[in-house]
Amino acid sequence: MTVKANGAPFIPGLDLEKEATRWNQVFKIMTGPKPDIISTPRQSIWKKNKSTLWYHPAKDKKYAIPVFMVYSLLNKSYILDVGPGSSVVGGLTEQGYDVYLFDWGSPGLEDSDLTLDRYILDYLEAAIKRAIRHSGQEGISLLGYCLGGTISAILASITDLPIKNLILAAVPIDFSIGIVPDKWLEGLQSGEVDFNRFSDAYGTLPSEFMYLMFRMLSPVYSSPMINLVTRSHDQEYVEKWRRMDKWTKDTASFAGAAFKQMFHDLYKENKLLKGELVIGGRQVNLSKIQCPLFVFSCSRDTLVLEQQSLPVLDMVGSSDKTYEVFDGGHVSLALTGKFAQFADQWLCTRSQS
Amino acid sequence: MTDEKHYDPFEGYKRLAGIWEKQMNGLLYMMTDNRETVRLMKTGLDAHSRYMELLRKNQELMASFLNIPTKKDVANAAKLSIQTEEKIDLLEEQIWNIQDSLGRLNQENVEMLREVVSIIQQMKTEFQQAASQMAETEKVKKELQELKAGLVDIKIVQVHLQELRKEIDSLKGIKTDLKNLKNNKELSQIQSDLRELKEETAQLSHIRLELGTLKESINGEQEQGIKMDEELVLAAASPSKG
Repeated sequence: MTVKANGAPFIPGLDLEKEATRWNQVFKIMTGPKPDIISTPRQSIWKKNKSTLWYHPAKDKKYAIPVFMVYSLLNKSYILDVGPGSSVVGGLTEQGYDVYLFDWGSPGLEDSDLTLDRYILDYLEAAIKRAIRHSGQEGISLLGYCLGGTISAILASITDLPIKNLILAAVPIDFSIGIVPDKWLEGLQSGEVDFNRFSDAYGTLPSEFMYLMFRMLSPVYSSPMINLVTRSHDQEYVEKWRRMDKWTKDTASFAGAAFKQMFHDLYKENKLLKGELVIGGRQVNLSKIQCPLFVFSCSRDTLVLEQQSLPVLDMVGSSDKTYEVFDGGHVSLALTGKFAQFADQWLCTRSQS
Repeated sequence: MTDEKHYDPFEGYKRLAGIWEKQMNGLLYMMTDNRETVRLMKTGLDAHSRYMELLRKNQELMASFLNIPTKKDVANAAKLSIQTEEKIDLLEEQIWNIQDSLGRLNQENVEMLREVVSIIQQMKTEFQQAASQMAETEKVKKELQELKAGLVDIKIVQVHLQELRKEIDSLKGIKTDLKNLKNNKELSQIQSDLRELKEETAQLSHIRLELGTLKESINGEQEQGIKMDEELVLAAASPSKG
């Protein structure tokens, strides 16, 4: 059914059916519950405190060396397994990789004293050890995304575990380059703005605060809603949008001690870049990374800039190192599942034992 | 413009909103990029932190008066279970280590046993070989003894042979002696034979002479007979000419 205005030759008709579908969908999304996230077939092989080590077996195993995925401490784990068709984990299992995904979990008040040292050594290193034991292989490919990439790089430089390949996606290494206004950065680096007292007062920073922090980076945030209204007649897009919307608003809480340490050692002192970071009494020297390395950034990434990732290439000791820039944004890299394609292109030749 | 193309008012709105959002964020970015905002942020953060500290302190105080647990108490209880879990993890890892070392030990033992079995088998075959060699040696020994006995016999035979040889030698002497004796007897006989032969030869030459005379007489008689035959043949042939 089409209604034409009086000035038909100049103003095209309005498709009422399409409009009805559009607004019906928008109403349903606004009033309905958040969608359920259907994960790729998995089994839990280890739990510690709130964290879980998930094992996603390959659909048709082609590669001996499994992939261990680490995401940011700031997010929820389903950023890498957001649903059929756009899951990074699902993409890799379809390509023939056994995938281990380490879910950090959301810390509670009892975890307020969890430091980065403990996260890296007591949780991540222990999880990788268990994944290797579970897989029965002699090594593993470590894949870190965003802050998970920073943590992966730190671990790879201090661990004795057999890490065969290292992939760092949209990884911040140089924290002197900021996405916040320059004066803020000066204030943060000079110590004028300090989160120590705030972290101590809260113990564990609530997820609402973390969400607010992200929102402060782009206070006007209407584009997702406009995108939904514009394309809400497209069912497939609506499903993806709902999953993305759920993930965006579902941030994790953050252990106060780890937040203080991260803020002080990385954002304020930039110790990782300077080679002064100490984790578990071990000096973090990225030149100790000798395994093949693949670093990639996204051309439209506004959260982690390309310049923040680039220094790692000069710092590592690997002879086999690759750097690429892919078209996309920071979050869309994971939510569209393109991440799996990029990782597979590089990993496929390096994943046979 | 055709009738099939419909108007989507949100396409334009989307574009405008995108530009607006970007510009607004840029504006806010620039507006807050100053020392005042930083100071305000610091003040706000400190004030909020102080307020939260005070609130938590009062909460704890009130809860202690009321003798009810706070979230902190629950967290402390939860920490105990986390510690227990960590200890269990450590124990599990130690069990793994023990399992691994036991596994390695077992493997080493299995390998050692395998080696022992192979050595025993090797020894067994070597023993069998040695036993057969021993049997052969026994056999050889027996044969040697037999040979030894044979050698003794041979020596006896040799002695006998030497004796025989001596006897043969003595016999040979006897034989020559006998031969010599024999030769003497023959000579005398030959001489007598020769005498007899001489006598016989003389008789034969006498007979020969007689035979010669006889032959001559026979030859003369034969020639006369032939002449008579020729005359008879000629006589028979002449009447027919006439």
